[in-house]
Amino acid sequence: MKPSTAMTQEGTGRYLPVIYPEELPFWEGCKKRQLWLQRCSACNHIRFPIGPACPECFDMNFSWEQLSGEGVIHNYVVYHKAWTPWLQAKVPYAVIQVELKEGPRLTTNLLDCPLDQIKIGERVVADYEDITDEITLIQFRRAQDAHK
Amino acid sequence: MTVPQMAKELKDKTAICGVGLTIGSFPDKTPLNLAVDAYQKALDDAGLKRGDVDGIIQLAYGSDYDRFLEAVGTDVRYANQGWTHGRFIAPMLQQAAMVVASGMAKAVAVVHGRKGRQFGQLADHEMWRQGLGPHGESPAYGAFSPALGVALAVQRYFHMYGGSNADLAPIAVAFRKHARLNPMAVRTDPMSTEDYLKSRWIVEPLRLFDCCQNNDGGACIIVTSAERARDLKSTPVYISGMQGVHAGPQFHNLTLPGLGVAQQKVYKYVPQKEDLYAYQMAGITQKDVDALITYDAFSPLVLFGLERFGFCGPGEAKDFIKNGRIELGGELPVNTSGGLLSEGHVVGWNLFIEAVNQLRHNAGARQVKDAEIIQYGSFLGESIIFRR
Repeated sequence: MKPSTAMTQEGTGRYLPVIYPEELPFWEGCKKRQLWLQRCSACNHIRFPIGPACPECFDMNFSWEQLSGEGVIHNYVVYHKAWTPWLQAKVPYAVIQVELKEGPRLTTNLLDCPLDQIKIGERVVADYEDITDEITLIQFRRAQDAHK
Repeated sequence: MTVPQMAKELKDKTAICGVGLTIGSFPDKTPLNLAVDAYQKALDDAGLKRGDVDGIIQLAYGSDYDRFLEAVGTDVRYANQGWTHGRFIAPMLQQAAMVVASGMAKAVAVVHGRKGRQFGQLADHEMWRQGLGPHGESPAYGAFSPALGVALAVQRYFHMYGGSNADLAPIAVAFRKHARLNPMAVRTDPMSTEDYLKSRWIVEPLRLFDCCQNNDGGACIIVTSAERARDLKSTPVYISGMQGVHAGPQFHNLTLPGLGVAQQKVYKYVPQKEDLYAYQMAGITQKDVDALITYDAFSPLVLFGLERFGFCGPGEAKDFIKNGRIELGGELPVNTSGGLLSEGHVVGWNLFIEAVNQLRHNAGARQVKDAEIIQYGSFLGESIIFRR
C-alpha cells in the first residue's frame, strides 16, 4: 500500500481518506479487517490520532499493535443535511465516536442501526467497508447486531 | 497567577479608534474589494488617512496582506497574516494592541474581506489534514462541516447534564430579537420558540436556527494608543484586559474542556483563577460586565462561553439562558447585535464592532443603557475586556 492524496473518488464523488506515510500500518490493517494502532514503548499508552510521539510521556518509540475492535458508543450525531451529492442517498446517517476497550476514541459510522435506537454506552464491534480497491474503512456495528 | 507590571502598564493604554463593517450579499465584489471598502469606512470613522496606518494584520482566505497593501498603495512597518477561524480573531486584535504598545507601529488596522463562496479557498482542503480536520472532520465518514464539532460537543453536554435540543431555543430566539433592532443584520424575520422547533435538522442535535449562515462581508478595526485615540474623531474604546486562546488536547474543536469530545477527558469544567486572567488584568469581575459578546457561529457555543468564564456553574448554562436573562434588558445581555446567528457571519469581527458600538453609546434601539464594560469571551478561553 502507498500513501494517497486523492480526496474524492472518481465517478462516485465519494470523499476518500488522505493516507499519510506514517499511517500505512493502520490502513494495511483495515485492508486485512484488523485494527492496528501505535503502542508507546515507554509507557504502553495506545494513542490516536496516529502520530510521531506519545502524547502522554512524549517518548518517540512505539510498536504497532492489533487491538480488539471492541468498544462503546461514546458520542453520536445524526446528519440530515447532505453536503455532497454522494451523501444525498445516505442521509440521515450517524457519525459516532467509539471509545475503544484499549482507550482511544475513533470517529466513524454506525452501520445498520435504526437511528432512534442509538445509545451512548452501547457496546459496538469493528466492521470493515471496502471503499476502493486499495482503501478499506473501519466501521462499527452494535455488538447485539453482530451476533445475530 | 499575578499580573506582571508590564501588563498593568498595557491596561487601557491602547484603544480602538475606528471601525468599518459590511455584511450581506455582494455577488459582484471580490474579497479584496470588501476589505478595502471596510478599511475606507474605518479610516473615515477614526478621522485618519491611510498614511497614518503603519501596521496591518489580516487572516487568510480573503485578500492576502500583500495584495491588500498594493491595492491601497501603502507601505507599513508591521504586517502579519493568520489562519481564518473564529478562534483567531481575538489573538489578532490582541496582537494589534501589543504591537502599538511595543512601538512597532503607531496605528494597526486589522482588516478582513471574505465571500461566503469564493475561488481558491484553502478551507476546502483543511479537513483532510493529518489526524482530524480543524472541527474534528473526517470526510470519508461523511463527518464534516464545522457543525460536526458543535453537534458532538452539545450531545455530550446533554448526556452529562441532561437537556435536549429544545433547551437551545432561547439563544436563537434572543439573538433574533436583538437582530431586529440592528439595521446591519441579515436575518431579521421574527422567530418564536415554535418557529425554532419547526426548523429542520442539520446535524442532530442542531437545527437550522442553531447555525449561522455563510454570507459575504468586510470588516476593519483600527487600534492605536489611548492617548492618540482621545484626539481622534470617535469615542475611544479602551482595551483593558485580555487572555489567549487556550489550546491542546483538552480544548479540542468547538467544545468546552471536560465534555469528552474525541480524546478529551470527561469531567465537569469549572474555571480556576488562572483561567480568568483577563479579569485580573482589567481589575474587574464577571459582575462588572454590562454585556457579554461571545462567539456564536452555533448556538451551543453560547452555553460553553458562559460556563467557560464562570457566569454559571457546569451544566447550568442551559437554564441560565432562560427567561430573558441574556436578552436586552436582562441581567446579562449577550450578543446584542444578533451575533453571528442573526446579524451575520463576518468571522466574528462584527462581534468586536458591536462591543465598540455599545461602548460609544451608539447602538440605537439595542443600546445597553450606560454600558461601561463589555467582555468578549469565548469557549476556548480567548477574551478581551473593552472599556468606555
